[in-house]
Parts: sequence; structure tokens; C-alpha cells
Amino acid sequence: MKKSMVLSLCVLLLALLLAACGSKNNDSQSSAGSSDPAASSPAESSAAPAESASEEKPITISFMHFKSDVTDGVQKIVDQFEAANPNISVDVQPVKYDDYYTLLKTKMAGGDVVDVFTLNAGAQTKLFVDGGYVEDLTGMPFLENFDPSVVAAQATDGKNYVSPVNATPIAMFYNKKIFADLGIEIPRTFDAMIAAGKKIKDAGKTPFALGWKDGWTLGMWIGRDLPSNTALVENQPDFFTKLETGAVKFADNPAARTMIQHAKQIFDLGNKDQLGVDYNGIVDLFAKGDVGMMYMGTWPLADIQKKNPELYETGIGYFPYPFSNDESLNKLEFNPDASLAVGSNSKNKEAALKFVAFMASKEGGDSWVKNINSLSYVKGASADIAPAVNELQPYFDSGEVYDSQVYIKTTIDWTNQFVQNLQKLFFDKATEDEVIATMDDWVSKNHK
Amino acid sequence: MGNIKRLIRAEMWYLLFLLPGLCLFIFAVFVPLVMGARYSFTSWDGLSRTVHYTGWDNYVRAFSDSDLWIVLVNTFKYAIIVTVLVNAISLLLALLLDTYLKFRNAFRTIFFLPGVISIVLSGFIWKYNYAIGFPSLFGMFGLDISSPLGDPNYALFGLILIAVWQGIGAPMIIYIAGLQGVSSELVESAKIDGANARQSFFRIILPLIAPSITINMLLVLTGSLKVFDLVYVTTQGGPAFSTEVISTFIYKSSFANFQAGYGTALSMIFFLILVLVTIVQISIFRRREVEM
Repeated sequence: MKKSMVLSLCVLLLALLLAACGSKNNDSQSSAGSSDPAASSPAESSAAPAESASEEKPITISFMHFKSDVTDGVQKIVDQFEAANPNISVDVQPVKYDDYYTLLKTKMAGGDVVDVFTLNAGAQTKLFVDGGYVEDLTGMPFLENFDPSVVAAQATDGKNYVSPVNATPIAMFYNKKIFADLGIEIPRTFDAMIAAGKKIKDAGKTPFALGWKDGWTLGMWIGRDLPSNTALVENQPDFFTKLETGAVKFADNPAARTMIQHAKQIFDLGNKDQLGVDYNGIVDLFAKGDVGMMYMGTWPLADIQKKNPELYETGIGYFPYPFSNDESLNKLEFNPDASLAVGSNSKNKEAALKFVAFMASKEGGDSWVKNINSLSYVKGASADIAPAVNELQPYFDSGEVYDSQVYIKTTIDWTNQFVQNLQKLFFDKATEDEVIATMDDWVSKNHK
Repeated sequence: MGNIKRLIRAEMWYLLFLLPGLCLFIFAVFVPLVMGARYSFTSWDGLSRTVHYTGWDNYVRAFSDSDLWIVLVNTFKYAIIVTVLVNAISLLLALLLDTYLKFRNAFRTIFFLPGVISIVLSGFIWKYNYAIGFPSLFGMFGLDISSPLGDPNYALFGLILIAVWQGIGAPMIIYIAGLQGVSSELVESAKIDGANARQSFFRIILPLIAPSITINMLLVLTGSLKVFDLVYVTTQGGPAFSTEVISTFIYKSSFANFQAGYGTALSMIFFLILVLVTIVQISIFRRREVEM
């Protein structure tokens, strides 16, 4: 009698367990189903009546971004938006840039909803547009706040899927005191820069702060030196487009060799333990004032200001990175940074668009400048971000700026692979020819 | 017929208690594995909504991929060194802490502590130690050292040191438990028979704690073959591929190179390798165990 009761209890528990499993399956199925393009249209129509009530009803939208090094700054911008739109609250999800696209891709493929997210205009945007995950923003009124050329430059297949946000020069910071003490002029060619570096080294100081422990610091340099030399020195502007189709190899591009030689020269003049110190480490070094030069965007400025206000105000300058020995080619690298996209499966599109529109307004643009020390694309937004950056004003005034990233029209993740192969070269584990051969081999193997 | 009925009735309870665990295993491990295996026969990029079947192409490619052999060598080098070091050190510590040492409970806690913090955190701690802590510490004595993680020749050993530091806690506890299970009468009678400390360790204690050795070797080896988090937070496979292990290689193929199909095929191959290693290892170590 007792035994049978226990038994039935067990069966009951088991049934419960199975039922729980079953309902979970149903859940995941229905959520997976709603990410289908076919099923999304009924979802949209059902969301329509809810929109009319959105004025009073509190809405939460999710915002995922890759500006995690300035998380606090972005939060301040978002706070400003929330203050202006009390019924919308924003769930901010900062992700480290190295992991950002992996995470976003996984979320999207898994059917998760991200209402607003940052993308890099160009190849990455195209990938998500092709997957059907991004809302078309063409013709939206807030795009008129930008220069038409900027909007056109960030278009994908002739349509606007992303709204431009901010831009940043990527150039060489230098320590004015070290340069003045050693009588070094601002170098306008690559060889002059290396000569300056040698002079600094002879004086017992560190010429370049590298921080190549982090993949992105070296990757960022490779991703600009190589396309600049490829397109402007070797006149192969469509090299990366052809690389994608397999029509060319790195061996056909003399700039690849140039870049490797540049890398080796800079590595030899770098701080001690070039591959063991990371980005934070070199910002520390540079802020202490012991280092001559550092190749970077404007992000470390806030950090430097905190660590050494005196150096920040008067001690550092900024000059365009001279990628070649032809002065007329060495313009200022000026890259779009983050752009904003709205998820096509978002259930709160109206609120999401409001959020993007705020970022494109004068108020939003000024907030980006003030809080994260980068330049805004919004027409009329302030441009005063740091004393060092003001040194670049002549280049902006004379229009001597360019964007090397427009030449990289490929989805191949070649920089990370090149980083690892270059590290082999730094430690004499591979020669120039071997690096190029390995890269070509890798591209042909992984991208047929 | 009656026999079978009785058998079912007798075994029923065991089966019933097995069911929840079995259910979990099937739905959380087995079904996803089979569903994933399907993708290893496709050229799926990880993002698109359609998949294209390519047969055994991914597997053929894996066996002709020279990078795969490099990462397999790295993985096994790492795993074998970690397994040997962790087991040797934790057995030594267990022997030490099984004696009547003052403060032995405090020492047990101290040696176990590193195993409690997450691998990600310890990765960050050691990254800092290597890059800033040690150089400035040794700098005081006039020694100039730099981070092993920044040099392809030493990076793997830098990782092994972290893994050993973190990994000795749990095996040590298992060894202590095993040592406490060895009856003191056996050791004493060996002593009376004239065996010295070394003889009684190798002839009496070691064979009796063989089951602990088997389980520790197995857990540490499979665990370190599967290492991902430690490599990912400290070196990401660099510098110069010197710490690229199979799991980071799979991750990069799937997510950085948009080849989820190939990545899945690599996972399947890795799964088979793990099964093979486990079977071989168990069959070797089981033979050395003795029954009490």
C-alpha cells in the first residue's frame, strides 16, 4: 500500500519533470519561430495597437554597444536621453570590442531581440544587412542632421541601414617635452619617424608605446598601414575586394611587404616586453611621460587627463601617422567609429527610432563629444575635445583627411591572422616570405 | 516468464531513480550533440538561415589542415604537462597534509583556495602578475624579467603555471581522502616486517590509493584537454599561435572566420579524440588498481 503510494508519487514527479521539459521546448520553438521572416509580419501587426498606447506605457529598449572602454560616458549620454523621454528606459549592454560581433551574431542567430546596437559601417554592417537583421533607415528625417557625404559613405548597397554617430582621428600622440629636448621636428615621413624613434632610444627613453598584448592594438595599426600603402602607394584600391574573390594574393601586393618591414622597425623601437604589455599598460606608460610616441585614437585622452592633468593640458601633441615616405600622401586618418542600427525584429521600433534620432540631434552629438572625447558627425556639434586634438585643426581645415577603412571591403578576418604571423616574425620564427606565404595559404583555405 | 517479472520488479527502483538523470543527459547533452553533428556536414556560416550540405568535405579538409596538427600538439603538450605536474604536486601536498602537522587544516584551506576562484579571474590576476607584479618585484633585486605570455617560447609554460596553481586543490582533497582510507594496520605491519618509508610508500600506500590516482589523472587530463577560458582570457591563442589550443581554434574557425560548419566538424573530431583518450587512460590505470 505504502509502496504503491511512493511509486505513484515518483511517477507524478517524473510526469511533472517531463511536462516542464516539454513546455520549455514549446517556448523555445515559439521564440525561434518569431525570428522567422514569415512569422514576423503578424508580430508586427499585433504590435501596432500597442504603439498608440506607448505615450503613457513605460517601454524598455535594449541597447548593445562596443564602446565598453567608455561605459560611463555612454551611460551619461543614455541618461540624458532617458531624462528627455521619461516613458522610455534603456537597458544598456556594453560589450568589449573583441567579443562584440561574436556575441551580437550569436544573439541574432538565436532569435534574441536587440532593439538598438552599434555597428561599424562597411563590411560588418553588410553582413548583418544580408542576414536580414537590420531595419532600413533610408529617408528618416534625422539623417538630414548629417552631411550628405557622410550619410552616403555609410550606406550599404545604396540604402541607409545605419545612422552615423561619431568619428575619431587615429594618429600619433607624442610627448612634446621629449621632442623639444632632443630637438626633434614632427616627422612627416615614415623614415623620419623611425629616425626620431632612434634618437629617443639613444637618449635612453622609450620611442613607441605599443601594448601589443591586446590583439586590437596591433590589429588597428595593421588595418590602417596596409590598406593605406596598398591603395595610395601601390595604387591597388580594390585589393581587398579581389582578395575576397581569390583574384589576388598578398604576394601580389608589395604593400604587404612594406607593412611587415614597418612593423618590425616599430617593434624594435617599442617599449620593453611589447607583446606582454596591454593597452592599459601603455596608456599608463605614456601618461607617466617616459614615452615618445603612441599610435592611438582619441580614447585614452580621458584616462591621461585623470592620471596626469599637466601632461594632458600642455605636454602632448598629435600628428598624422606617416605611413609612407611621400609627404603629400600622409594625410590624417579620420575614421567613423560607431554607427547605430535598429534591429528588424524589435518590438519597440518607435522608441528605438526615437533613441537613434536623439543620438543624431545636436544635443546628442554634443553629448558624445563631451562624454566620450570623440568627434561627432552631427552638423554643428562642438569639436573641442582635448588640447592635443586641436593640433590637428590645420588638417581638418585644409581637408587633408582620408579614411583608409573604405578600401577594406571584405568579410575576411585577416588582421587577427596577420597579427599572429607577425608575432612569429618578431621572434625570428618566420621570415617575411614565410609570413606572406602563410597568409595566402590561410586565405585560400578558409575562404573559397 | 515469472523470473523476468520478478527481475523487473526488483530492478524497477534502480531504473526509476536513473530516469531523471537520464532525461537531463538526453535533453541537455545527447540531443544537442546529434543536432550539432548535422551542421558538420554543411558549409553553414553561422549566421545565414539556410544551410548547404557538403557531405564529408569538412572532415576531409580537417585531416589535411596543417594548422589542426599544430594546435593538437599544443593541446596535448599543455594537457600532459599539466596532468603530470598537478598530480605529482597534489600527491606530495596530500602526503604532507595527511601527517600530524600543526595547522594542517589551515594549510589545506590555503592550498585549496586558488581552486575556488573562477578561471577567468585567475587569468586576469596572473596576467597582471606577469606583466607588472613580477617585473617590479624582481626589479627590486636587480633582475630584469618580462612577461612569459609575451614571448612565444614561454607563453605555454606561463599558462601551465597558472593551471597548476589553480588546479592542485581538488586532486589534493581526493588524495587526502584516499590516504585516510588506507588502514594504518597495513602500514604498521609493513614497518614491523622491516620495510622503510620509501618501500611502504611504493609497495603499500601507492597501490591502495590507485583508484584516486585513476580518477585524478582522468579528470585533470580531460579537463585540461578541453581548456578554453584560461587561454581565451590570457593570450587568446597568441603570441604567434604558441598557445593556440583545439578549443580556441574551433572557436576562431566558427566565429571569426564564419565557418560554423567546419568548426562543428572539428568539434566532432575533438569529441572522438577525447573519448579515445579516456578509454585508453582508464584501461591502463584500472589494471594497476588492487582490491582490498
